[in-house]
Amino acid sequence: MSQNNMLAMILAGGRGSRLHDLTNKVAKPAVSYGGKYRIVDFPLSNCANSGIDIVGVLTQYESVLLNSYVAAGRRWGLDTKDSGVFVLPPREKADEALDVYRGTADAISQNIDFIDTYDPDYLLILSGDHIYKMDYEKMLDFHKANKADATIAVIGVPMKEASRFGIMNTDGEGRIVEFEEKPKQPKSNLASMGIYIFNWKMLRKLLVADMKNPDSNHDFGKDIIPTLLGEGKSLFAYEFTGYWKDVGTIDSLWEANMDLLDKKNELNLNDTSWSIYTEDVSALPQYIGPNAKVERAYITQGCRIEGEVRNSVLFTNAVVEEGAKVIDSVLMPGAYIEAGAVVTRALVADGIKVGKDAVVGSADSENILLVAKRVKGVE
Amino acid sequence: MAKAFGIITSPANHIKIEGMQDYRPVGAFSFLGRYRVIDFPISNMSNSGIDRIQVYVRGKVRSLAEHLGTGRHYNINSKRGKLQMLFSERSSVNDIYNTDIAAFAENLDILERMRQEYVVIAPSYMVYSQDYNALLNTHIESGADITLLYHKVDIAKECYLNCDVLNLNKQKGVESIERNMGNTKEKNIFMDTYVMKTSLFIELVKKARKLSSMYTLPEIVSLSAAEMDIRGVAHRGFFASISDFNSYYGANMSLLDYKVATELFHSDWPIYTKTTDACPTQFFEGSDVKNSFVSNGCLIEGSIENSVVGRCVTIHKGAVLKNCVVLAYAEIGEGVHLENQVVDKWAKIIHAKEIIATSEKPGYVKRDDTL
Repeated sequence: MSQNNMLAMILAGGRGSRLHDLTNKVAKPAVSYGGKYRIVDFPLSNCANSGIDIVGVLTQYESVLLNSYVAAGRRWGLDTKDSGVFVLPPREKADEALDVYRGTADAISQNIDFIDTYDPDYLLILSGDHIYKMDYEKMLDFHKANKADATIAVIGVPMKEASRFGIMNTDGEGRIVEFEEKPKQPKSNLASMGIYIFNWKMLRKLLVADMKNPDSNHDFGKDIIPTLLGEGKSLFAYEFTGYWKDVGTIDSLWEANMDLLDKKNELNLNDTSWSIYTEDVSALPQYIGPNAKVERAYITQGCRIEGEVRNSVLFTNAVVEEGAKVIDSVLMPGAYIEAGAVVTRALVADGIKVGKDAVVGSADSENILLVAKRVKGVE
Repeated sequence: MAKAFGIITSPANHIKIEGMQDYRPVGAFSFLGRYRVIDFPISNMSNSGIDRIQVYVRGKVRSLAEHLGTGRHYNINSKRGKLQMLFSERSSVNDIYNTDIAAFAENLDILERMRQEYVVIAPSYMVYSQDYNALLNTHIESGADITLLYHKVDIAKECYLNCDVLNLNKQKGVESIERNMGNTKEKNIFMDTYVMKTSLFIELVKKARKLSSMYTLPEIVSLSAAEMDIRGVAHRGFFASISDFNSYYGANMSLLDYKVATELFHSDWPIYTKTTDACPTQFFEGSDVKNSFVSNGCLIEGSIENSVVGRCVTIHKGAVLKNCVVLAYAEIGEGVHLENQVVDKWAKIIHAKEIIATSEKPGYVKRDDTL
């Protein structure tokens, strides 16, 4: 806590059920993205790069892999004497029975004791399933400069899509005057990114009261923010410009991967001043065979390509055999495309094999095909 | 505790790699894009359950020290195990004093404190996969005093000229160790790899010191061949000795045959290295890559054929690389044509339009150089 007296809590308990079979066995924050990363690497690396020492990760749904993954804080450099990543699933306490996290705010309330041990001035609440690079320290400076009680990061969205988001209506100075969840007639296009900075002492009081309120959903968006506004607290909107993606569906996960193929992609994972850190795997550099064809692709170590790859993202240890074609597709770690198979507009899940000469997906499909089960080859 | 500890030696004085060695010892040379040569012996030891490893270093230590760090990335137990760098002073009077035995003698107190009954000694400049635990068991079962690993080759006239060879009798007993003079095709190339009891090793170091300050470990072992049971064990699989510039280039090139690469890399025998957190490699419209190993973090718009590309290399539009080894962070400018070149780290080739050499005599572009 030596660096900025702000502690971060990452909400990582959700399933992400619209990702279908991808999240049968792992929570959404643990889903693979961008060739070598998992989604949760983004908030964790952002924390590490923003000088935040203590990060709590609130897990609930299918948390075994996620828990062990984030517990290895050294991957993100969060392993000095004063720093660490703490995995916080629901737990039984001396005076309380074991209970699930009933909402985003409840997840924090149930860990007040954990936060108190570090006695932070500020609490940063993050979501574990967004892809973006952000300096939270700049947001904290903004929060302090405004002497705010709470600051909410917002991003401008196209006005016609604004009714899908939680929208912040602000005055000229960025002060939030109204919060509307999915408004039918939006007055502004500033959508909440689910990133909050609170003065901890104030939030703590509010959470203790919220826990006892039988009518509350125990949710930041539905309960805590409206209560703060109702009490006349000082809330500011911190406008973020840059790449930000909430990958809720197979289509949007595919799209977020495809974004990396642009020559000037905004996420720019090549920028070493703000690296995204992840698990270190022992794999050969990618091998591209004598008859291969690779164009407009994002490919990581461990891959072996003997066929054709166009407009696609290939994750660790993916294989494309001779004569196979992978077009407009995403191959998750260990996906194996056998000789002669053709994969178009598809997302092939971890370790899934597409058999010899099989054809999956099509160029004019409306949605991206999720291939989560072995596809038999053509005899 | 493993029965053996490991020692990784510096190459002898006659191993010289023009150009690249001006910047770092051979062990710290980039290999096949993302590795360093020393990753192979250390991973072999780590995979064999050896968790006390001593790396002997001398001169130009920076890049090696940075790469080895705490040794954590080699999967060595952080409490019970240890990766140790042992330094030896370089004599400036005469290079003949800079022997491996001199380095061992300088660190004799540390060697004498080792509790492991056996020692496995391997070189930092050779690339191969070997289960040292299996080798140790062979050694113990045979009852030999010393076991040496060798690789049988039939190109000893042209290659491995800086290496030592084992002269074996029919029972694989070692009769002597001598330099490969290139006089016959078939030779048993000594892989500078030894297994023996720690006590015998210390005895040999002391004995060599008494006899001559010039003696090296292979020399004292060879001298002891008459009175000791020294046996050779043949190694199978990929083997490369990085003992001159051509062999460095050639070893990288030979692995471009994926079948050959699978002789070195096995799924149950990981080769560990230090991560740089580089993102995946991006191929742009118009890129054309064939028969190459490409590391992470590269931006590729040009053509690459039969080449090994290190991390974070930029290959601009219209650039053509053929039979090249390009080290990390290099930049190849628009329309530049390179053939049979080793391009060292951070080099920028922008103004030169064509640099072409032959595979028999590959070219070298210096580190940090702009051409």
